[in-house]
Amino acid sequence: MFKTEFVYEFVVAQQQCTLRVPLSLPLQGQTIGELASRLTSMHKLPCYLQTDLLQKLKSFTEHEIRQFEDAEGEAALERLRNGVEEGALVAEWTNAYSQEVIECAKQESISNDVMFSEIYHCLIHSPALEALLNLEHTYAIAVSDVIARRDQDLLHLEQRQESEMEEAVKRLGETYTDEQINLLAQRHFENTQMIESKWASELSTLRDTQKREYRDWVMDLHEDSEEAVPKLNDSLTAEQSPRREESFTVHLGAQLKTMHNLRLVSADVLSFCRHKTHVIEGVTVPQPQRLQTAISLYSNSLCGLILLVDNRLNSYTGIKRDFAGVCEQSTDFHFPDLELQFQSMEESVMRGNEKRAQQRLTSSTEDADSLQSGASSGSERDDRALRLNPGDFYTSRHSNLSEAHVVFHLVADDSVRSLVSDISSRHPVIMGIRNVLKACFRYDVHTLTLPLLLVHEMSEEMTIPWCMKRAELVLKCVKGFMMELATYSGQGSRTVQFLVPNTLSADTFASISAMVSSIFRMSNPVIAKS
Amino acid sequence: MASIGDAELGVSTFCAASHQSEKCGANGLPLTPNSIRILGRFPVLKTLSHPRLCKYVDLVREKHERLIVVTEFYKTNLAAALRTSKYSDTSCLTTLAFEILSGLAYLNSRGFIHRNLSPQNILFDTKGFVKLANYGMYYMTDSGADVSFPIGLLKYMSPEVLAQGRVRVTSIDREYATGWKETRQLSHAPSSCKTDVWSLGIMLLEAFLGSPLWPNLTLQQIIHKILAFAKSKVDPIVLILSDHHGEEKFALLPNEIQSLISTCLTLSPKQRPMPIDLLSSSVFNALKSKEIPYSNGFSMFSTNLRCQDLEIPEYVEGTEEDHAKEEDLLSERSIHEVYYLWRLAGGDLVGALTKAGLVRTRPPITKIANFTLDDGEFFGEGRDRSTLLDCTVVILSQDQLRQRLKHVEPAAFYPLLEEEKNTALHLPISPSSGDLTDTSKLPLVIKERDVEYQFHRAILYERLLKAYPYKRHHIWKEARTDIPPFVRAEIWAALLEVEGDIQGTYDAIDKETPTATDRQIEVDIPRCHQYCELLSSPEGHEKFKRVLKAWVVSHPEYVYWQGLDSLCAPFLYLNFNNEALAYACFKAFIPKYLHKLFLKDNSKVIQEYLAVFSHLIAFHDAPLSNHLNTIGFIPDLYAIPWFLTMFAHAFPLHKLFHLWDTLLLGNSSFPLCIGVAILYQLRDQLLSFGFNECILLFSDMPEIDIERCVQDSIRIFCLTPKSATYRQHAKPSKREQKDSSSKPDVSYYSKDYNHQPLTDLSMHPVPLEDLRAQKCPFISAEDLIQLGELMGSSLTKSPTKKSASGKPLIIILDIRPTEDYLRGCVPGSINIPFDTAFNSDGDFLPSPAVTKLNVHKTQVKVVVGSRDRSAIKFAESLLRLGYNRACVLYKGVDVLRPTGILTVPTPDL
Repeated sequence: MFKTEFVYEFVVAQQQCTLRVPLSLPLQGQTIGELASRLTSMHKLPCYLQTDLLQKLKSFTEHEIRQFEDAEGEAALERLRNGVEEGALVAEWTNAYSQEVIECAKQESISNDVMFSEIYHCLIHSPALEALLNLEHTYAIAVSDVIARRDQDLLHLEQRQESEMEEAVKRLGETYTDEQINLLAQRHFENTQMIESKWASELSTLRDTQKREYRDWVMDLHEDSEEAVPKLNDSLTAEQSPRREESFTVHLGAQLKTMHNLRLVSADVLSFCRHKTHVIEGVTVPQPQRLQTAISLYSNSLCGLILLVDNRLNSYTGIKRDFAGVCEQSTDFHFPDLELQFQSMEESVMRGNEKRAQQRLTSSTEDADSLQSGASSGSERDDRALRLNPGDFYTSRHSNLSEAHVVFHLVADDSVRSLVSDISSRHPVIMGIRNVLKACFRYDVHTLTLPLLLVHEMSEEMTIPWCMKRAELVLKCVKGFMMELATYSGQGSRTVQFLVPNTLSADTFASISAMVSSIFRMSNPVIAKS
Repeated sequence: MASIGDAELGVSTFCAASHQSEKCGANGLPLTPNSIRILGRFPVLKTLSHPRLCKYVDLVREKHERLIVVTEFYKTNLAAALRTSKYSDTSCLTTLAFEILSGLAYLNSRGFIHRNLSPQNILFDTKGFVKLANYGMYYMTDSGADVSFPIGLLKYMSPEVLAQGRVRVTSIDREYATGWKETRQLSHAPSSCKTDVWSLGIMLLEAFLGSPLWPNLTLQQIIHKILAFAKSKVDPIVLILSDHHGEEKFALLPNEIQSLISTCLTLSPKQRPMPIDLLSSSVFNALKSKEIPYSNGFSMFSTNLRCQDLEIPEYVEGTEEDHAKEEDLLSERSIHEVYYLWRLAGGDLVGALTKAGLVRTRPPITKIANFTLDDGEFFGEGRDRSTLLDCTVVILSQDQLRQRLKHVEPAAFYPLLEEEKNTALHLPISPSSGDLTDTSKLPLVIKERDVEYQFHRAILYERLLKAYPYKRHHIWKEARTDIPPFVRAEIWAALLEVEGDIQGTYDAIDKETPTATDRQIEVDIPRCHQYCELLSSPEGHEKFKRVLKAWVVSHPEYVYWQGLDSLCAPFLYLNFNNEALAYACFKAFIPKYLHKLFLKDNSKVIQEYLAVFSHLIAFHDAPLSNHLNTIGFIPDLYAIPWFLTMFAHAFPLHKLFHLWDTLLLGNSSFPLCIGVAILYQLRDQLLSFGFNECILLFSDMPEIDIERCVQDSIRIFCLTPKSATYRQHAKPSKREQKDSSSKPDVSYYSKDYNHQPLTDLSMHPVPLEDLRAQKCPFISAEDLIQLGELMGSSLTKSPTKKSASGKPLIIILDIRPTEDYLRGCVPGSINIPFDTAFNSDGDFLPSPAVTKLNVHKTQVKVVVGSRDRSAIKFAESLLRLGYNRACVLYKGVDVLRPTGILTVPTPDL
């Protein structure tokens, strides 16, 4: 875009006239013909001039644009001659071609993981499915056995140490001095650590072996998949764990409507992760949900779960620890262990925080003090670099959870639990949910489970009005986000499960259920008439 | 439209760059995805048509920002031909240069540049002529800003392009309050047409040398090479030739050609010529004289004389051989038509690409980003190799289509259009699928998917459109069967009787100068039918605004009412490449169906409209009308957006098209019938609902079966006496009766009531208060005479082929006291005196007349009374008792006195 002036000279009634029009070229949103007729009517030019004006305008704009383009080109060459940016230019173009154009890109060797995923996806949709699942299941039992033994061992140790300590404390001053007691406590602690690490190493060895064996087995199975795979013939009777839930079908969109499924579920969030032992005729068999998760693992229809976490990337406390516990119940044959996944996330988090700091710097200069404190001791800086903000989320992938492939760990601060100040639709956690939904559209996560009240546990103070208010906010926001995203991201149907704590009263559940249907305006059943 | 000839349909795919995060996230509005931007810019490429260009046929948007391009394609290209050393022959080389340049010059004349020239993109058709391909990539991706890959092959890039660096989006802004239009800045201006000339120079040199330049250099080295030209004092051509030891060979070329190549490779863009300059070089004189001037076929609303360049070809008696060659009649059709049929014949674009291994995407779980910031920016996403640019073009096999059309008679490709007196339908008969008239009776959704049927319809309509406006009534007649989607835009224009210099009219309207309504338009457009990808693109918004502004500016007597945008949407969607036609249709549509509804004070018009609508509900569905009146759910609460947008706000475009296909055939009262038909479909729910539930039901329009709705509304229309929907604010008749010549007067309904000449027996304006107060419609005396055949029988053909009788049967109820009745009454009427008709509960007292009424319960009941209000009251009692189809003779029995119809009844009644 550049500005110029068009000068039109013409003769009217033997009088020489000049018309000067400022123009910005190339013309935006109008054609030359339209411009000519506008000029004619605006300046009341006689109509016999119109053809001439059009001609002149045409050649004028062509000439001007050519001159402008030539100048641009010359300027670029001139900059190059002055030798400012050649290195950067070469790098830019090389990257552009080598990273974006398949002809120039390096041949990508098919990694083992990719190959494994393809083979697995292929096998899980074949008769080998049952064998696969059973193997996974046997492995899972082995792991949970070890875990059970570990827990028992630790319990024993704890009990023994407790009694020892009690004994010692009782005889404080007689046989034991303070110092000795301290020593005892220290020994206890060391013992516990030793035992714990022994079990941890045993577990990880077991997992590694299992994972290796499993992958080898899958590869082998694929190689001789022609051979008949042993079939197992026990009928599964699904035993649904008691969950209060209600399903809705809604149509969203102003004119063109897309059908979505909603579900209101009252359950513990980890029940979507945990495998329930399932016993048929004395034999424990995998749960039916497990089958579905396995089949869809490498498909374009994933299941996701939002877990609300605090601002640290680890699994030491609260729900995070419980979740990590569920994850280690069995070996994940497809993805790295949670700890390892956290490690790779750390890098992303650091990059993210850097970017955030930069943005803050450019947007305002008042953060000078944070920079200063940032220059303090190394470990603290590390800690800072890994600190998360409310609304951020990190994503872990799992193949060994019962009803989720992807877990979105959404960072929430205390303000979501606050009972006095209510949160608004612009709250970071709400925006975080929007970003999660965006990610769901981006990565084909078709089923998403999210905590409707933005808390996993009810507390005494969470009154019914509070619950209703919170539910209303989240439902309305989710509806808005879904409509907004559907506009651009295709018309696929989605399932959203709203999760409420299982301690919620039946009445409140019923009123929230009524709210869902009123906010999402339940679709009217199509009545078939002959 | 040029025929497809020997061309193949080629399909290729690429991915648009996805937005990392939202830079304008603060205002919560999402950025338009790049794929949508590209989609909006694409359609204009379809209008480019030149013998040296491969046509663009279609662009499809898939999940995850993937776009699929369908183009004309040929298997041979310059990259292969280069090595044959065929081009060391000077005449071959000049021809190549000339053909490329004429393609480029055409592109430039339309305001495009290629910017993607490379031997792979220079194809040869079966006769060996050059066809430029992929010239749209640079334009549709907004100079490459919408994709992450660079456009053009590195080797053929001119130094100034490399020196400018890659194009980047430097800022995006979107107006907060309205959500109107993203404005974005690019890092530098688009390239000029002279970069193509450089690329041409390199290619000519390669062609001449018979081998690619710099075969063994790495990317980096090539970039250095090209950038080095800019710094060197020596001419690029000299440097290149010395690299390849080609000086001696080059020196052998004729001087003219030597200078052609070296001027192409002029370093300075300023001194480098444009394609059009090069074409005037004397090297090409011989070729130019042989060239056949290219005219761009037929356009429906051209102001040029169509026969201007008409040369009647000499008729040559065909030999046996010729007959054998002419077998492939499908190749005579246009590429767009073949593609349309190809899709119907089960063509699957994604399938074709997947088979060629082009869209092997990684499972999503393997690439999920592992961390996302609160502002939506994400990190650690796995890169999918399938999103890289792969220029491979896959040929779409036409076997399936040809198989399906194998049995079609050659004559069916050229149907005759002369009037046939005996048959109503002009569908050709094909031996393979039996009579096509059978297919024509199937549901629309099936017909629209039937290849053979669509093939016949498209050909028939195409020929009819060529004869427009002469064949207008023929088009009208065919449109009553159905309208194929392929030609819908033009057919609608024909049905709306668009004629004349539409482009000139449109150009003359000032759509630039800001007006007071701009802001409202800018608020409405980003909220109007945005699920439609085309209409949600920035290009779509821009066109939307121009067409709306054009209408507002050129109709100063009207104002912009919300809803006008929805009304415009279908026309814009159909005529995305032809704003002028979209505007012309839009302009013709409004007076036909929405006369005066866009007045600044339209309350009177709307009130009258709604009053007539509620009469119509009462007329056709007494129980529903009674229920709605009881709960107070009046049309004002739900029907205004229906009529103000002619249902364009209530339905998605694909349903609206089917609705309007029929609507356009009806008169201005037809929309009222559609309204009743919609209520019909929701009848059970409405009857069981209270006021609040009804409001809730219509606050979000429930799904409606549109085909049934259309059939219902036609039936309703045919059961309504036309004066019952009389409105004083309807469009008055045109002065000259031009209509009668173009549209045959085939039935009772073929004339709009509002267009008939007014007589004493006609309807006259009724005060609005009276209209709103009464519940049943009036019928005019002339209508009564016509329907009751009181003056001899008249035409009885129906407007649709479906119903058996073309007009409603009537029963006339005379409610005057018996002595008045005996003095003179309408022949055949039955007498139920108002005063003695009802008991105290409001029920009928039994009498022979009432029995007779009950026998003819389904017929239209015309209540004839004196001038007082008793007739209206009687009709309302009928309504209350659940009798459908009651109406009142306008002005009572007195109006019939002058006609001499009234007779003394025969005694047995």
